[in-house]
Amino acid sequence: MPEVVRAPLSHPAWQHWPGSLLAAAIILLAVCGAGALFWQAPALDIGDLWASRYLRSVVLFTLWQAFLSVSLSVLLALPIARALDRHRNFVGRGLLLRLMELSLVVPTIVAVSGLVSMYGRQGWLTVVLQEWLPFLSWNLYGLNGIVLTHVFFNAPLATRILLQALESAPSTQRRIASQLGLGSLWLWRSLEWPSIRPVLPGIVALVFTLCFTSFAIVMTLGGGPATSTIEVAIYQALRFEFDAGRAALLALIQLLICGTLWWLVLRKGLNTALVPDRQLVISHARPDAKGVRKLLDSFLLAAFVLFLTLPLLAVLARGLPGLADAMMPSGFANQGLQLLQATALSLGIALPAGVVSVVTSLLILGVKPRSANTPISRLLETSAYLPLIIPPLVLATGLFLLLRPKLGIASEGLALVALINAMMALPFVMQLLRGPLRNLDPASTRLADQLGIRGWYRWRWLHWPRLRRPLALGLAYGTGLSLGDFGVIALFGSPSAPTLPVLLYQQLGSYQINAAAGTGLWLMVVLLALFGLFNLIGKPSTKSQRLHSPKPIQLETSDA
Amino acid sequence: MLEVRNLTYTYPSNDRTWCFDFQVFRGQCIAIDGPSGSGKSTLLGLLAGFLRPTAGTITWQGQNVDQLAPWQRPMTSVFQEHNLFEHLDVQTNIGLGIHPGMKLSREQKQSIQMGLARVGLAGYGERMPSALSGGQRQRIALLRALLRNQPLLLLDEPLTGLDQDTRSTLRAMLVEQKAQGVTMVLASHDEEDRQVLADSQWSL
Amino acid sequence: MHFPAARFLLALLLPLAATAQTGSELTVYTYPSFASDWGPGPAVKEAFEQQCSCRVNFVVLESSGDILQRLRLEGDSSEADVVLGLDTGTMDTARQTGLLTTHQIDTSSLDLPITWADNLFVPFDWGYFAFVYDTEQLPNPPVSLEALIAAPDDLKIIIQDPRTSTPGLGLLLWLRHVYGDQAPAKWTQLKDKILTTTKSWSDGYFSLFMNGEAPMILSYSTSPAYHMAIDKTDRYQAANFAEGHYLQVEVAALVGSSDQKALGREFLRFMLTDGFQRHIPLKNVMYPAIDLGPELPDVFNKLITPSKTRYFKPAEVAENRRDWLDEWLNAMTR
Repeated sequence: MPEVVRAPLSHPAWQHWPGSLLAAAIILLAVCGAGALFWQAPALDIGDLWASRYLRSVVLFTLWQAFLSVSLSVLLALPIARALDRHRNFVGRGLLLRLMELSLVVPTIVAVSGLVSMYGRQGWLTVVLQEWLPFLSWNLYGLNGIVLTHVFFNAPLATRILLQALESAPSTQRRIASQLGLGSLWLWRSLEWPSIRPVLPGIVALVFTLCFTSFAIVMTLGGGPATSTIEVAIYQALRFEFDAGRAALLALIQLLICGTLWWLVLRKGLNTALVPDRQLVISHARPDAKGVRKLLDSFLLAAFVLFLTLPLLAVLARGLPGLADAMMPSGFANQGLQLLQATALSLGIALPAGVVSVVTSLLILGVKPRSANTPISRLLETSAYLPLIIPPLVLATGLFLLLRPKLGIASEGLALVALINAMMALPFVMQLLRGPLRNLDPASTRLADQLGIRGWYRWRWLHWPRLRRPLALGLAYGTGLSLGDFGVIALFGSPSAPTLPVLLYQQLGSYQINAAAGTGLWLMVVLLALFGLFNLIGKPSTKSQRLHSPKPIQLETSDA
Repeated sequence: MLEVRNLTYTYPSNDRTWCFDFQVFRGQCIAIDGPSGSGKSTLLGLLAGFLRPTAGTITWQGQNVDQLAPWQRPMTSVFQEHNLFEHLDVQTNIGLGIHPGMKLSREQKQSIQMGLARVGLAGYGERMPSALSGGQRQRIALLRALLRNQPLLLLDEPLTGLDQDTRSTLRAMLVEQKAQGVTMVLASHDEEDRQVLADSQWSL
Repeated sequence: MHFPAARFLLALLLPLAATAQTGSELTVYTYPSFASDWGPGPAVKEAFEQQCSCRVNFVVLESSGDILQRLRLEGDSSEADVVLGLDTGTMDTARQTGLLTTHQIDTSSLDLPITWADNLFVPFDWGYFAFVYDTEQLPNPPVSLEALIAAPDDLKIIIQDPRTSTPGLGLLLWLRHVYGDQAPAKWTQLKDKILTTTKSWSDGYFSLFMNGEAPMILSYSTSPAYHMAIDKTDRYQAANFAEGHYLQVEVAALVGSSDQKALGREFLRFMLTDGFQRHIPLKNVMYPAIDLGPELPDVFNKLITPSKTRYFKPAEVAENRRDWLDEWLNAMTR
């Protein structure tokens, strides 16, 4: 018998232990974080909390706004994703997709400022609207503004995931649909709905959780305390009442509500990728991509592009004077240098955070439980979503209490900030990598098994080429989320050197409105550059791209 | 000699059960025929180790191989389609068959280029599978199988759906392999394939 | 300037590497705008370091509430020697922690609208809460709280949430002081004029007021000083309300667990000198805690002078805050 080559790291233990241990560590970290608060609390009065009329109304309102935001985000995302799926070759499509990816990491204060300049009482759009349709009274503040902003943040995310699901419809079925010349309705029923259905519960749960835990948006645009979320109450309890027990209890309520939702979704087993993995997709002519439909799609897409870009343009318009001042030779020595120092420190925290979240995700996803219902697989799934539900403030405060005696110097505090940021990015990064890592098609798996491409070799030759782009995007998400973070770093306290968001708040606190707008714009520029750069890194080398491009003679992918 | 004794498999989903019992001498080819769903692919999957049998044994040259993992078994499979990794170029697809980590010696690299020339695809090493025709893809799959140098070939409709020229080229390659002592199990609908290649035939 | 690139790189990396120090070190917990380059922090630090042969190390926390929170979390093992940036709204809660110690310094030079006698806290600046308005949008602002409350509902104001923001709490106390038990009813009347209630002063000022979303925002009577002196514009002014304005005094205190108490007291003493106070008016945009004489910038003479100072004793605030907040919540969510 010929000698069998043993691939490095192909022992089953390598697939099992690192990931499981990390997942357990994450859950432990979350439990300890929240637990430390309980331990600090002298006595708890649960009955008192439940009896509070205010708290009940907060919970109801939070549910209501999250429900509306989810419905609108998904209802908007569906036609957009279909239109994007129908038209695969228009100019700027790639740019639009990048923009949609970016929306998740835009810092709230920057986005809110942009949205206000569009839709506020003095907003460009509001003024136009009042001119043309004076009978329509539009008021941003209140439920309107909350839902609008949540749609601004989440519709692109939902669209991106839906588009991914649509594009992953088996190409054989697409070919058949294309040959039969199926109409729009039939395509929907035979092709689109079956590929969307499995991801829909996950999208709903994800967007719901993001809206449910939203905080600054709800307060700034909500109008008053009638429109509060549980996170506001947690913040109040922790920062102003110094009532750790109450905060922990509120966090528990939040955990219960969102956890139930995730449990319902995960019970059915969620093995589809929730976040796009940018696979190479071969395009098929869609019979319904012509005529009136085409016109309608163009209109829809144009409106969506405006919806996304106009607020960002407002950010640009507002921030340009401040940023220009900083970049002028006269202002550079001071303001510009400070901006660059803050950028360096921010990247110093955010890049490691991105790397840690990507590596952790890979190790956790590398674990292949034998079935979806073992305790191990539950553990893994839980670790992926827990960071979404536990309020970062609760986590950070709890960890601070736990680690306090050991936190000697500032740099250790910064490392902890990076770690918590990495953990907060985990749910998104894991969604991103899950698809390409788990969904190796059966034919390829069979082939790899026979050829002995296992362990490190499987990683290198089968996963890595498919993971390049999602990995790059994962890094961008992880880094971007950390870059815009203000809450965690503010709790641990920064030494005199500020990160970019801290600098922004410092400028705001010192009436440096122009400079602050400039810093906000700069933050966006850095994020954009980061996403662009990682997108470049994620692209396959030019050589193999050239080889990708010749027209396929036979349209065939390895779907089995 | 490949000996299959009382090899039983029950599909977990519908409880259909298959049982196989046969032997093939070294350097010979057994051909299996039968309508689709008759168990041809099940047999080949059991031999390759993709499926775990419920009972029975497989021995090769007197050694029991049914407990081995797919990568430890002395055999190579060629399927009707999906033989190539779509995201890797032709020479990598072949190279991974020779060494699962692409650690190739100079001679091995040369043998890939020579092999490509032999199957009429000289200079195709850097192309992606999506840029090839079905016949070209099968030629590459077969080339990889040969370069792997395993004593057993499992062929699951490898020539189905190809044009006449390609079929005869590939058939000739398989005949050559047989002459060199490679043992084959061939599942095929095609009368001509079976006649040219098989030493014994068997219908499911 | 032979190696501009190297100098540039050094300047970028320097703040990351500044850990090695000599001599004693004074750690001061404070809020972001105090320690920022535009705030008084850097200048104050430099001035004090010149006279103390020590290093001042600012640790920046998100807000004055966070300073107290951090102190409580750390307890006896706090790194802080001095906390700077608590105020009359949070003072008594801080006192109750027992983590602070007496300042033992002479505070007779203080120049506040109220008499100050406190053994723990030393004021470093003060100001009045006021509504700042945009004269271009609102040429004739209300002249009293009563007029504001009675104004038509199309006059929109932006306030901050008393649960998360210092000025927000200030407004709550202001109404309480003026109206007593009638305050909740007044809030109900005011409710429809409130465009929105932001989490922090910054959110409202930056995202909304400066975007022209509402002509009035809850801020400080000193805010216009900044716009007049630095932005060179008279556009933003504070409305002078006939009922008087609520007073905020910002304070610093010595941490009991500090092993640099002498140095800390020296800092607190320095705080009440010109060397510290001259940076307050334009950099912290508040009134200095001592009489600066001619050094007080001219624009400060153009600010409103409230007819009456509204002020609750810190102990009274601590005792009633929870109840008053609940009343406010009830009035606002009804």
